[in-house]
Amino acid sequence: MALATDQTTDLAIALAACASGDRNGLRSIFDHEAGKLVAVAQRIVRRRDLAEEVVQEAFIRIWTHAHQYAPERGSARGWIYAIVRNRALNMLRDGKREDLVGEDRLEALQDSEQQEEIMAAWHRLDRDSRLKECLGGLDDTKRRGILMAYVGGYTHGEIAGRLKLPLGTAKSWIRRGLLSLRECMA
Amino acid sequence: MKIGPAHIPTIADEYVLGLLDEAEAARIDAEIESNAALADAIAKARDRFLPLDTNIEPTSVSPALWDAIDRQLPKNADSASIRSVSPRLPSAGNDNTRSGWRAAAISAMAASLILAGGLIWSVTRTVEPLVVAVLVNEAGDVQAVVEDFGNDTASVKLLTDFAVPADKTMQVWTLPSREMGPMSLGLLDDRHSARLSGSALPKPQDTQLYEITLEQAGGSPTGRPTGPILAKGFAKLAR
Repeated sequence: MALATDQTTDLAIALAACASGDRNGLRSIFDHEAGKLVAVAQRIVRRRDLAEEVVQEAFIRIWTHAHQYAPERGSARGWIYAIVRNRALNMLRDGKREDLVGEDRLEALQDSEQQEEIMAAWHRLDRDSRLKECLGGLDDTKRRGILMAYVGGYTHGEIAGRLKLPLGTAKSWIRRGLLSLRECMA
Repeated sequence: MKIGPAHIPTIADEYVLGLLDEAEAARIDAEIESNAALADAIAKARDRFLPLDTNIEPTSVSPALWDAIDRQLPKNADSASIRSVSPRLPSAGNDNTRSGWRAAAISAMAASLILAGGLIWSVTRTVEPLVVAVLVNEAGDVQAVVEDFGNDTASVKLLTDFAVPADKTMQVWTLPSREMGPMSLGLLDDRHSARLSGSALPKPQDTQLYEITLEQAGGSPTGRPTGPILAKGFAKLAR
């Protein structure tokens, strides 16, 4: 696994190894990606212990479903991250996050921290990245809505509440933002 | 209900952003396999937003996390979970299936044994079911019991309150054989126990799969389960 030519190819090979029952494949994915995957999960579920739980469950799923990964369905990396993201979102929707933001003050504090983190995800994109440029071309509200959903795992309702917009308006703004983004990146 | 081509890019984006509700996401999971345009749009949307994740500052990970994963890995990749009646998609985004089904199956077997005991006791019944299936949720809690009489009638007893949105309904399914695929036994419109009849199916067998899914009002538009699984279990022959 030392031949790091192209990360995505390596990950596709690692997934193929998992599918054939070779644990080294999974270990290699863990060694290369776990640090980021835990961070991504934590950005959504807000707690380190829950984030590790998410990643742990996600790796079991990667192992058991590796044979279903098909290269024509996007990058191996995208497939792996999607599994982690979905586990994190499911945990959020199951309500575990509420357990830790029970107190109003704490919630407000965490919320503003998270808002900063969400915007930071955009600022951190490579300077010449198309995604960065295209997100930059959107109105602030649309950009914020899209980033809150993807980066922070917020629902339509939560986004509407934080942006102080009616739910229907928030939904259609995000939808229009997504359309502009697709057009810009096409 | 097929997703119209014009809506695919929007739905794919919202799916990848995690903005769809549980039922919508489950519908996408069910459709993704048979709809190449949808699968393609989702793959593209995923890769479009991926840099927001991959550019994150990695955190240091304790080796204990790998040990915990390693301990839990099933021996081979295929034995991990019970297959659902409806084939579920791998790359599926907001997939709700969890590995908990195995624990669920074990509880179901235990519950079936208890139930079989109960059946011996209830010999005074006028009509005996051919098979009984105890349906459990992912956590392994008993949710419902299906008694299939084999004469195109089945009785479904709900043992818990299900939360069903106003525009949804519960639909009962069974898998008589791989070749036939999942067949509907009927709808539980008012979330109550019911006697369902009218579906002419082969005589129910031991270990036949039964499940209840959440479908849009009026029942699944495709004639196959499309919504999330609320409960499932395997039949035991009543003897």
